[in-house]
Amino acid sequence: MTFKLFTLLLQAAVSTIGISLVSIAIGFVIAILLSAATLSGKTIYSAPARLFVSFFRGVPLLVQLLLIYTLLPAIGLNVPSIVAAIIGLSLCTAAYQAENLRGGFSSVPKGLIEAAEVTGFNPLQIFARIQVPIALRLTLPTLVNESIMILKASSLVSVVGIIELTKMAQDLASSTYQPIPIFLSAGLVYFVICSTIALLGRYAERSMARTSA
Amino acid sequence: MLKRHLLKAAVGAALLVTTAFSAHAADDALARIKAAGVMKVGTETAFAPFDFIDAGTHSGLNVDFFAELGKDLGVKIEWVELPWDGVFPALEAGKFDFVAGPATITKARLERFKMTAPIAEATVAILKKAGDTLITKPEDIAGKAVGAGKATAQLAQLQEYSATLPTKVTAREYVSFNDAYADLAAGRIVAVANSLPNIAFVAKQRAGVFEVVTPAFGKKSYFGFIGKKDADSASLVEYVNSEVIKMKKDGRLAKLQEKWFGTTFDTPDEVKEPAF
Repeated sequence: MTFKLFTLLLQAAVSTIGISLVSIAIGFVIAILLSAATLSGKTIYSAPARLFVSFFRGVPLLVQLLLIYTLLPAIGLNVPSIVAAIIGLSLCTAAYQAENLRGGFSSVPKGLIEAAEVTGFNPLQIFARIQVPIALRLTLPTLVNESIMILKASSLVSVVGIIELTKMAQDLASSTYQPIPIFLSAGLVYFVICSTIALLGRYAERSMARTSA
Repeated sequence: MLKRHLLKAAVGAALLVTTAFSAHAADDALARIKAAGVMKVGTETAFAPFDFIDAGTHSGLNVDFFAELGKDLGVKIEWVELPWDGVFPALEAGKFDFVAGPATITKARLERFKMTAPIAEATVAILKKAGDTLITKPEDIAGKAVGAGKATAQLAQLQEYSATLPTKVTAREYVSFNDAYADLAAGRIVAVANSLPNIAFVAKQRAGVFEVVTPAFGKKSYFGFIGKKDADSASLVEYVNSEVIKMKKDGRLAKLQEKWFGTTFDTPDEVKEPAF
């Protein structure tokens, strides 16, 4: 395997990382809204949120991607491949992250919220200053875990026309007839990226523990 | 009062937008491509020598042909690369204007799509492992495992041929023909059924690993490019078709065939009655 082939794999890895990071970030924002809706105690908010979560957790990501790619044009939304890929990954990870966050929010001690209410915090302040920071800290390990899952699941977006790491490896393997070195290298690149995410996660956990101590 | 003005303005804006859109829709696919300066072409990149990734670079007869077409039409070609079984659904969903592929011109496809004049012959033959003495003629695949690409006309022909044999073939379907070649090299199947230009190319690239079994077993058939059948696409299909004919006449197509297949094909200008 030549240096040129390896740089091609690295280029494709950049799209893998880019698409995954953007999706995880968008998914995180949606997940906060979803978990807040689920925990609101009002059916008009919690029912659609639950439906969303059960749909995106219950349908394979591959099927979701194909649906977004070919179904959206039927309602007049013909999005390019990259947008379809990011929508698919974001909505899927949002469902999982929402469930993780729900666990985190439920674990915020009731006493803290009551104390905040008594001291005159309004509901938005309680949410942003007390519930979110605590829930975040509690769910950080699962967020890291989910990020790694999404990064690996992003290999599926080639079905909507995105050339990411796995697809590039397949293309190179079949044109050079050297599947073993190429797939080994692709595996190694995935491993390095995922390990980096795990390391960053641990670092964030430690620094959070320090600031709260 | 202010509210009502705002409402009026909003309705007016909405009307403007709708008329702009419907005026846009009044043109057809070809006009829109010219206006945008970009033609989107969907394809699969596991179909050498028509369409493949040559050490990172998208190449093949398709790339050369559409580059010429883009020059003639004065537009840029934008490629959308999908797995083959996803290409036709995406064309119907409007993800791109045309399909390169190419696809074998068949009766079933002509019912649903418009296909251009042939760009090469597509007759199906067998690729075997080099030196395999058990397979010397097409009939020898009877009762054995043979691979082909999913959702391809080659697979359909293999199944049709299999039914005429004393013992049926076990047809294995692959996401792409490249995966089938890999399994042939690994010995999981004894042969791959694909069109002559494709397997001749593979056998040449990997001399000593693969070998073409002659004669071809399939009915004589041809490869064409694919467009939508609706009125919106009519002039676009007509244009691409005229480009094929034009390049055939001025010798550009023969040059491309020579470049990618090492030989030229005698193809008709139109396939009215496909063999299958």
